[in-house]
Amino acid sequence: MKITWKIWLLAIVLILSVLAIAPWHYFDSGVLVKSVEKNSTAYDSGIRSGMVITSINGKAIKNLEEYNNFASTNFISNSSQKLITNTNNGEFIFLANNLSLVVAKVPKSNLKTGLDLSGGARALVQAANASLTKDQVNDLVSITTERFNAFGLSDIAIKSVSDLSGQNYMLIEIAGSTATELKDLLESQGKFEAKVGNDTVFIGGDRDITYVGVSGQDAGIYSCDQGSSNSYYCEFRFVISLSEKASQRQADVTSNLSVNLSSGGRYLEKPLDLFVDDNLLDSLQIGADLKGRATTSIQISGSGTGATQQDAYKDAQASMKKLQTILKTGSLPYKLEIVKLDTISPALGKEFTKNLVYLALLVFGIISVMLLIRYKRMKVTGAVVLTMFSEALITLAVATLLKQNLDAASIAGIIAGMGTGVNDQIVILSESFNKEDTHVKIKERIKRALFVIMGAFFTIIAAMVPLFWAGAGMLRGFALTTIIGVTAGILITRPAFADMVEQIKGD
Amino acid sequence: MFKEERFSGWYDKNYKILLIIPVIIVLASLIYIGVFYAQNGDIMYKDVSLKGGTSMTIDGNVDTTSLEKNLPSYFSDVSFRKLTDVTTGNKVALIIEASAKPEELKAKISELGVNLTDENSSTEFTGPSLSAGFYKQLMIALVISFVLMSCVIFLLFKSFIPSIAVIFAAFSDILIPLVILDMFGVTISSAGIAAFLMLIGYSVDTDILLTTRALKKVEGTLNHRIFGAFSTGMMMTGTALAAVLPAFLIISGLPDSFRQIFLILSLGLFVDIFSTWLTNASIIKWYCIKHNIK
Repeated sequence: MKITWKIWLLAIVLILSVLAIAPWHYFDSGVLVKSVEKNSTAYDSGIRSGMVITSINGKAIKNLEEYNNFASTNFISNSSQKLITNTNNGEFIFLANNLSLVVAKVPKSNLKTGLDLSGGARALVQAANASLTKDQVNDLVSITTERFNAFGLSDIAIKSVSDLSGQNYMLIEIAGSTATELKDLLESQGKFEAKVGNDTVFIGGDRDITYVGVSGQDAGIYSCDQGSSNSYYCEFRFVISLSEKASQRQADVTSNLSVNLSSGGRYLEKPLDLFVDDNLLDSLQIGADLKGRATTSIQISGSGTGATQQDAYKDAQASMKKLQTILKTGSLPYKLEIVKLDTISPALGKEFTKNLVYLALLVFGIISVMLLIRYKRMKVTGAVVLTMFSEALITLAVATLLKQNLDAASIAGIIAGMGTGVNDQIVILSESFNKEDTHVKIKERIKRALFVIMGAFFTIIAAMVPLFWAGAGMLRGFALTTIIGVTAGILITRPAFADMVEQIKGD
Repeated sequence: MFKEERFSGWYDKNYKILLIIPVIIVLASLIYIGVFYAQNGDIMYKDVSLKGGTSMTIDGNVDTTSLEKNLPSYFSDVSFRKLTDVTTGNKVALIIEASAKPEELKAKISELGVNLTDENSSTEFTGPSLSAGFYKQLMIALVISFVLMSCVIFLLFKSFIPSIAVIFAAFSDILIPLVILDMFGVTISSAGIAAFLMLIGYSVDTDILLTTRALKKVEGTLNHRIFGAFSTGMMMTGTALAAVLPAFLIISGLPDSFRQIFLILSLGLFVDIFSTWLTNASIIKWYCIKHNIK
């Protein structure tokens, strides 16, 4: 068989597609570091995002589950311990009372599996009482990204999208089952205010707060106790530093307060009230010695509850994290409204992935049998199946390079694209194996087939293009994979297939 | 194999009558859609992604008796669908839909004794204003797609009647599946409308094949060319159905939106057999005879 340049081109594109997808990562184990708290001992020791942790203190960490088990069994008390962490970039040793890392599964390939395959949550968000411009949504995206990173949510994609009517939205996708956190973080604007009486002393964000403690001596769960027979509570505390202006404000406000001796201690008459979204979170007594003094360091405290001590501990940790996030990033510029929220359980995602493999095998099988019955040639069937497979592979590779999340709709697009691909190949086969048209050269006949194929190609493109914008682009994946599939077909696989058929015909 | 010559004679006599059948079906479908619109205020039953509300999928074989009995008293429009594994017959999931917020529906389901977690359930919530906007835009997209497809067809064939024949076939491929879905009370999702768009592109390739072969080929008689195109076209539709039908029929556990795309594509491809080989073939034969393209 003569290998023409079109067949070479197909082979090269297929090799590049495999390189783009990188399926050999399937055998990797460990957990991927998504982000490291800047003020943490882990960061100081040299751990950075993108590294893969393979063991901690000699215990192998093969996956997320093993990492979480390690974290939940080793950090139940607040005492710091030595951690010897092995990564793909070497060993790091540090003292910590928690890992201060956000980790995720090590990706099994470069394919970006969307929610339908991996499970997770997706929200489409608008400002509650305002119509936002594209620039305003872009600002919102960067503030929200900062907030989500600070909170420690991993595998998150936030972008601005707009629809046909010119409405702008923010689209957030989080892998894993974190719908509750997603909702909490979006629906609370996160307006933090510390007040003494009616006077605001400081607010969340880096204008008033220069440092928020997250680990070591500056933050942690300090005590856990049983409240009643079925309830436990844990107390968290962390330190923040105020800017000079904010601390001066505190000094000015407290200078007019009198000392209250009746409460048993020496405190000022009014406490420092902490509000989140106008709800009172905590009231901190102010020691009498702080009256009129510009203090830059303040300790914030709160608590978490649960049916077991472990639940209470987790709840306290989550509350602390949320408060730290709000203090670091300040409030969102708008009150947000979730206009669409989808969550997909990881179990359903797994089932879907498994079924897709069965589906692909079944479709390949049925089409092979049909072609074998019709053309009675193994080589023809082989060429069609190879072309179908190539189109699917190239589509996946291009989608990977375009960072397109593969959701159910985009996979439907790939299958639909394969369906049209087979149709085109049948047109080529029908022209090539036409026994009556012998006076017309095969090249001529394939040219005629390509006219039909080009017509079909342009109608599909015409049909799919409006989907890029309609419905805030929620079905863009479907349009994109279909267009990639048919374009790869026209430019690469179909010409190669036509050459293969010419060769087979010549044999 | 059918006797081409004998069939050719029959076809020459009856092709205009064959054209009447699809025209009657299309007219009846238009009347049905008109009546449907008058009764329901819309041309289709919309699911929560297009009318607003929550769709909740609970994985596994959940005992639903209590839910089915009690939920309607809290949510008047609640509906239930069970997904079963075709190979084993086991129930794999339950889908509950209602015009309510996820937390309201979740709270009531939990009250009725079904424990919901992020692990065992999936939700799809669309706010009412957004869904109305989505629906409007997807319908606009459908119209734009159809117009763009029509432009491509006109550019391709550069003559009025053959182009209109292809466009009419594409119109039938959308209209008739929609009527079938309405008749069976199937609620259509946003992904379903995307499938209708896809159908616009998907179904016309056999029409392009037929028109090209009938108009542009010089060898063989007109009937011979139409029959040749039919043989190739049926193989195309057959393999296309083989690609999309299993995704709807055999595989369970797929997201509902995914299955609906394939249900609509399968219906459209099936209808396309008739719209191409009865409607379009008859029009193109008539046109060729009139213009002496033999």
